[in-house]
Amino acid sequence: MTKKYKFLFIKFIIAAFILNGCSSSTKLVSENKDPFEKMNRNVFQFNKYVDQKIISPISKTYVKKIPTKIRSSVSNHLEWMDTPSTIINSALQTDMENTILASAKFLLNGLTLGFYDLDKGETIIKKKDFGSTLASLYVSEGPFLMVPFIGPKTTRDLTGTILDRQNMSTLSPNSIDDLYLAEIPINMIDKRSKMSKTIDNIYLSTDPYIKVRTIYLQNRRNEIYSKNYIENKNNNLDAEFEKLLD
Amino acid sequence: MSKFLNYTLLIFLFFYVNIAKSFSDNLKMSEATIQQMIIEAQKHAISTIKLEPDERSKKITLLIKKYINLDFMCKATTGTFWKKASETQREKYKTALLNQIVLAIEEHLNTLATLSYKPTKSEKRGKKLIYVRGIIEDPNKKKPNVNLLWKLAANKNGSFLILDLEIEGISLVSSQKAETVSVLRKNRGDFDILLMKMSKDK
Repeated sequence: MTKKYKFLFIKFIIAAFILNGCSSSTKLVSENKDPFEKMNRNVFQFNKYVDQKIISPISKTYVKKIPTKIRSSVSNHLEWMDTPSTIINSALQTDMENTILASAKFLLNGLTLGFYDLDKGETIIKKKDFGSTLASLYVSEGPFLMVPFIGPKTTRDLTGTILDRQNMSTLSPNSIDDLYLAEIPINMIDKRSKMSKTIDNIYLSTDPYIKVRTIYLQNRRNEIYSKNYIENKNNNLDAEFEKLLD
Repeated sequence: MSKFLNYTLLIFLFFYVNIAKSFSDNLKMSEATIQQMIIEAQKHAISTIKLEPDERSKKITLLIKKYINLDFMCKATTGTFWKKASETQREKYKTALLNQIVLAIEEHLNTLATLSYKPTKSEKRGKKLIYVRGIIEDPNKKKPNVNLLWKLAANKNGSFLILDLEIEGISLVSSQKAETVSVLRKNRGDFDILLMKMSKDK
């Protein structure tokens, strides 16, 4: 095992232990744990300010000035750049079908550096990141966090995001690493332009912070947990609904 | 003895067939309700496009009232606080929630007219609930498919009304409840403050 892979492996083990230590229970999913709500709300206000003053105007100009075809090429390229993470994490989660499909799609679209989806969206790949790998190892999601510039995350997903970035820079040469750095602001603008209506609507809601938290957690849990979790969640909701219908 | 067994078997079969039939009838009725609503919404989107915004909102409000169980949604989104609210506050909350739903639908109505809905599966849950699953597809395949889950229950008249909608696993009732309860908790259950905030949203 080379030195850099040893380092990667150790980081993975440490992160898993830290996160397990963070959780007070062995339950897969905790209720909306938010012990840092006050701090999170302040960070949310900061993110909202940055979004409204910088990111939103840029993304609006981006949508106005750049033709749809170019924008979709940029989106495709950004998605393609993220595929190695899906490949690695699908393999770690022993989801061989997703690993093979993602690898094939990555290689195929690699012919155009990912700018054009040669597969035309026929192959559906489940996005996997280190956060979902940690979840598959029964690491609890930990408290909810609002991270400056990044947005909503759970402690587990934040660790996953950091490790994902580190893994990519460990595995790739320096030039690719620089490319990833340049990709961050473009990714932000691209995502903002795609979700512009949704984000603007969230700001108009009664409690935007809670709205972001609940949407993020519901979406994330649905993405990474198995059918058992969804069935459990539905059973609980059903019982609540039946009570109200009586 | 064998006569008795035969009768028991017959009675059992009679009930089994009837229960199974009523289950499948309920499933079909729920699916038909959703299909009908989507068709009406798409028709509305086209026919009301040239109307004044207020007129359009009125028509959409009527359509929504026909298909959703607003009383249930009000209870479900306010939790235990609903019992503490006065009759006037309840009525005002109902109007505010309806307005929010109308606004949300209005925003997506024009897009909805260009997409197609396909029911995928329906199932009976517990004693009263029915899940109807479906997907929204873009005929041009430019947009990804969106998975929907409608939760329905029969009202006193026997017609099925929508209790909740999950879009890609995100429940509208749960999201609204989290928000409403947070505002109410912060303000010691004061519904008037919640209503004021909701009217500001509009």
